[in-house]
Amino acid sequence: MDPSRPTVVVSGEGNRLALKGDLGIAALADARNALKKWTKQGPKRSLDLAGLDSLDTPGALFLCGLRVHGVDLTGIRAEHQALLDLICGLDLKPLPKIESVSRWRQLVIQIGKGGHEVARAAVDITTFIGRTASWTVRSMLHPSTLRPASISRHIAETGIQALPIIGLMAVMIAIVIGYQGVAQLRRFGGEDFTINLVAVSVLREMAVIITAIMVAGRSGSAFTAEIGVMKTRQEVDALQVMGMEPMQVLVVPRVIALVITLPLLTFFADIMGLLGGAAISQFLLDMSPTQYLARLPQVVDGSDLFVGLFKAPVFAFFIASIACMHGLKVTGSAESVGRETTRAVVKSIFLVIALDALFSIVFEKIGI
Amino acid sequence: MTTRTTARAKTILSARGIVNRFGRQVVHDNLSLDIMRGEIIGIAGGSGSGKSVLLKTLVGLHEPDAGEVLINGKAVQSIGAEEIATLIGVLFQQGALFSSLTVAQNIMVPMREHTALPAEEQEQIAAMKLALAGLPAETGIKFPSALSGGMVKRAAFARALALDPKILFLDEPTSDLDPIAASGIDALIRQLNDSLGVTVVIVTHDLTTLFTICDRIAVLVDRNVTVATVEKLMKSDHPWIHEFFHGPRAEGAMKARKASHGN
Repeated sequence: MDPSRPTVVVSGEGNRLALKGDLGIAALADARNALKKWTKQGPKRSLDLAGLDSLDTPGALFLCGLRVHGVDLTGIRAEHQALLDLICGLDLKPLPKIESVSRWRQLVIQIGKGGHEVARAAVDITTFIGRTASWTVRSMLHPSTLRPASISRHIAETGIQALPIIGLMAVMIAIVIGYQGVAQLRRFGGEDFTINLVAVSVLREMAVIITAIMVAGRSGSAFTAEIGVMKTRQEVDALQVMGMEPMQVLVVPRVIALVITLPLLTFFADIMGLLGGAAISQFLLDMSPTQYLARLPQVVDGSDLFVGLFKAPVFAFFIASIACMHGLKVTGSAESVGRETTRAVVKSIFLVIALDALFSIVFEKIGI
Repeated sequence: MTTRTTARAKTILSARGIVNRFGRQVVHDNLSLDIMRGEIIGIAGGSGSGKSVLLKTLVGLHEPDAGEVLINGKAVQSIGAEEIATLIGVLFQQGALFSSLTVAQNIMVPMREHTALPAEEQEQIAAMKLALAGLPAETGIKFPSALSGGMVKRAAFARALALDPKILFLDEPTSDLDPIAASGIDALIRQLNDSLGVTVVIVTHDLTTLFTICDRIAVLVDRNVTVATVEKLMKSDHPWIHEFFHGPRAEGAMKARKASHGN
């Protein structure tokens, strides 16, 4: 035991004991052990406190407990009397217990809550997307209500600053696809088709998906956190009482900025992905960049590029709307900013993939 | 009140030659302050006079550019984590309750960290601290976000008291409160000081708090402190101090002082 720890000593015998030393929070366990049998009702007992050097509130609480069980506290020093009076005089009730629910019921409740939440989220998203669309169109019809400064700031933050990371990711994804393609197609002697594989998958799918996921994680979370913090500091309320509509001031500029940025970023990712393809051809297929460039128009056409770029603004609209919706859902605490940010990112990435699947089916049916 | 101060006149905290600078701006210039065991001392001063920086310096959260703070003769920066937790308690301006924990769990945080008490006993002590801070037991299972401003202050009070600190630092304990809640907090400070013997350091703008419960007041002017009783400060001819203690708001507070001191 730590020798410097304050201790309390119980002396005396029978029904007359005395406490000496320091009855503080550190010595409480010792005191309780020494006086264990006294916590039950019994014959007349007394505890002398004249030798007690110090007493704190948990100690006083313990003594008050003894007093309730019929122990007579004697020899209380003047400086301890006030403390004992205060603590014994408190109207003490135990903390209410939080109702415990059995495990299987908890599971059922969770499933129910989860289902309810999904249903509500679907309604919320649909409503909010509708509102965002309506406000965006309204702002477009009255260009004076657009906020060019805000839009350009968001374009810089979500677009220009994202260029390096998105370019790097596009190159790497092309390398990944290229290596897989060469390994599989070599068996059939068709490794030259790796170029088709890389170019088509980058243009139609990979560039836009990678860019959208990156933007959802990077800018979507930033939108939610920015608006969420404004919400916690009542800045959103301040806007409203000053006659400014948060949808118009906060949501529309972000949506417009992202709808402009994401197609541009996707185009950039397309180019970087094709450059990655050039590197693959050089190293794995011994095909020079000039040959590669000459091959490209034969394997891809405008529709591949169009399919990818067409999806980008749609994804952008959904990512921005969901991020803003969750930002506006933030309530009070800082914790809820974190929670809503997570939700926004998860939902927008999920929605991007779901929409992409939908697009694949639709494009297949109409034969693009 | 003054008799008690002199009877226990032993320095518990002493700040020596504190200098705090932010860039070119000097906030405290060779500031010295002695706080006596068992007293209630108010730290007053205009906005931007460095009250909060001084508080941070006294509790060891901010290292001054020069000078030192001694608590019980030991430099505050060199006191170990466990000892500092039992020595000082701080009520932060916004409460600083951990938002992911219930009020009772908030109060139990220091106990869980620094004592080996069983959970059941910690809960009893937490319930006692709640009652001591004037909160009903049901508050214990609520989360801080569900509390009103006054309740947050009281809950933060209960947490600051968790390990029965010797010095309690209160940063604006009555700000953002309605007058009834503010008077309640004042009474609570007085009561805790009387019965627990805890030394209280209050940083406040609230003249009523300063006039009714503080034994001495440290006024931060001209990058230094002037420490005296209310009576002496009332007679000060320093223009800012004179304005502070004789302005229109000071009169109401003075009436409250007369009412509470019975003279």
